[in-house]
Amino acid sequence: MLVDFLQLTVAGLSQGSVYALLAVGLIATYTVRHVINIAQGDFAMLAGLGAVSMVAGGVPLLLAVIFAIIGVTVASVIMERLIISRVKNLTTLVSIILTLGVSTLIQACMLLAWGAEGRRLPTFPGSDINVAGISIRSQELWMLGALLVVGGGILLFYEKTKFGKALRAVAEQPVAARIVGISPVVASIVAFAIAGFAGGVSGVVAAPLYLATWSAGLLLGLKGFVAAVLGGLVSFRAAIIGALVLGVLEQYVAGYIDGGFKDAVAFLVLILVLIIRPQGLVLRQSAVRV
Amino acid sequence: MARSHRRIMPVALAAAAALTLTACGGGGNFGGDDDTGGDGEAEEGPIVIGAVLDITGVGANLGVPEQNTLQMLADQLNAEGGINGREVELIIKDNQSTEDGAARATTELIQNDDVDLIIGASRTGPSLAMRPIVESEQIPNISIAANAAIVEGSDWVFKTAQNDVVVIQSIIDNMAEKGYKTVALARDATGFGEGIAEMITEVGAEQGIELIATESFEPSATDFTAQMTNIRNAEADANIIWGITPSAGLAQAAYVQLGIDAPVYQSHGVANDAFFEAAGDAADGVLAPMGRLLVADQLPDDDPQLPVIDQFVADYTEEFGTPPSSFAGHAYDAWKIAVIALEEAGTDADALRDAIENVSGFVGISGVFEMSPENHSGLDSSALIMAEAGDGRWNLAE
Repeated sequence: MLVDFLQLTVAGLSQGSVYALLAVGLIATYTVRHVINIAQGDFAMLAGLGAVSMVAGGVPLLLAVIFAIIGVTVASVIMERLIISRVKNLTTLVSIILTLGVSTLIQACMLLAWGAEGRRLPTFPGSDINVAGISIRSQELWMLGALLVVGGGILLFYEKTKFGKALRAVAEQPVAARIVGISPVVASIVAFAIAGFAGGVSGVVAAPLYLATWSAGLLLGLKGFVAAVLGGLVSFRAAIIGALVLGVLEQYVAGYIDGGFKDAVAFLVLILVLIIRPQGLVLRQSAVRV
Repeated sequence: MARSHRRIMPVALAAAAALTLTACGGGGNFGGDDDTGGDGEAEEGPIVIGAVLDITGVGANLGVPEQNTLQMLADQLNAEGGINGREVELIIKDNQSTEDGAARATTELIQNDDVDLIIGASRTGPSLAMRPIVESEQIPNISIAANAAIVEGSDWVFKTAQNDVVVIQSIIDNMAEKGYKTVALARDATGFGEGIAEMITEVGAEQGIELIATESFEPSATDFTAQMTNIRNAEADANIIWGITPSAGLAQAAYVQLGIDAPVYQSHGVANDAFFEAAGDAADGVLAPMGRLLVADQLPDDDPQLPVIDQFVADYTEEFGTPPSSFAGHAYDAWKIAVIALEEAGTDADALRDAIENVSGFVGISGVFEMSPENHSGLDSSALIMAEAGDGRWNLAE
């Protein structure tokens, strides 16, 4: 019984780490530009499919993964430059509509380029391990590790470094930020680069286990968004914890209730959070105000 | 604090609404030809065949090769002069692997394109959604999905994939031979898996095999740890995973990764190379009843299906660069049966329906078809072989 519980927890944590990386990207753009990026999950799929094609074309796995992440990071910045930054009086609602358009565009391009069938990236190096009856897939360790390094790195960057803090100031006080010499343009580009990077990483670490498909990004993005809402859309910490909780909850529901309800968990959590605790899991609001 | 609430609440709601809207809307229609209207004249002008396939969404591994096959066969047929001198126009619609998409596409094909016959859908759920429409409009429909419920008691619906109950019979027989007494099942939560547990219980009872646990999974699922953990706990002599690729393949991978060593049987829903893409090395040793297409190179030389299969594999591979899957074969059989009946009866709906019912001895990719008023599926257990996965392909077992 305990073994099952732990087995489900391990699977939930690794799935949750993919949601967490997406949530981190969403919060990065929200805190700086108040943009909700609906295309975040599609960027993840784009990275996965891009890496699959490169590996099929003979590029070593590690290089393919790096190129895919860089490519998606650049794509995210291009989206910011070509679309987001062109809009005067950008409200969050406008950003949702804009990025929804981008999401549809990316999906259509992926469908044309890679077809409708899901593609698998080779598993990263390493072997599956078994601890007291709990089997842990090597790829799951990669997923958790990616969250630890990338998610943790981004969190530290925003919360501990001067530049990171300054970036967040732009969202709160754009005029004041400009007066003290922080360029909102740079802040925005950096935020979208970080979002693209985190999205790309989540896409490539998930592709060996969950496959990459043109259409899967939207639901994945939604799960990341739910986690971000758990973080009140401002707290990286709370969002990461929220994402891990969401992943684990999904596994418990699938294991102890019914596999068919798994995707409903995110929606239920979203509704409950919005009704009961719209500020998310954030305990102090001080983190927002820099 | 309060200010923050006010800001986040509408934003979150709006984003959620946007996501939900697109989730429901899905992608566009990227499959097949443009909707050029049919002629509408009863017995002259082009013959219009509609197809409703799961080209995008969870059924893509099925629908894409089916689309390829139908397009290829239509081009071949028209190059040879069509049917009795009449050109054949093929209109393919993508149902996005959804029931409502299939119903909508069927209605459009009948009302806007005036089709004479409809092929599809690829999966059981969408196929069942089409059934009441073709029945009330009285348009012959040849499904390429598996569940026997698609054709049971229907005057207008036929199907070419082997019936699920025949597949289960074949699995249970194999289990009985090996002396297994208990079995656990992980099944597709949609139409394809509907009623499978009941069938296993019923067929198994005759051989003294008991179904002791049932789990279900969505075909869109990517993680199967939960279901497979429960299957592991059931400790059955053997397990059945009943689904289509890629989900059934990912489930197989999770099964092996959780260290379950009981033998696995899968359905004919994994009769393609995509299974190996999803399952990887975990595929080795899986047994699955399926048609002869994927093991054609291991068949005895005098197998009556061999010439048909070889020709199809050669044509398809030349056109698309990859060998066809069993699903491509189901589409091939549906198309050929349609052509045989159209040659015989023309486009009058009643005559066409009767002609399909009378198709007998047609040697197809999935078997030799014997349609009748009582049997709209046309295949029995002789259409199946037991295949075993090994070295990244399906092989004839034993």
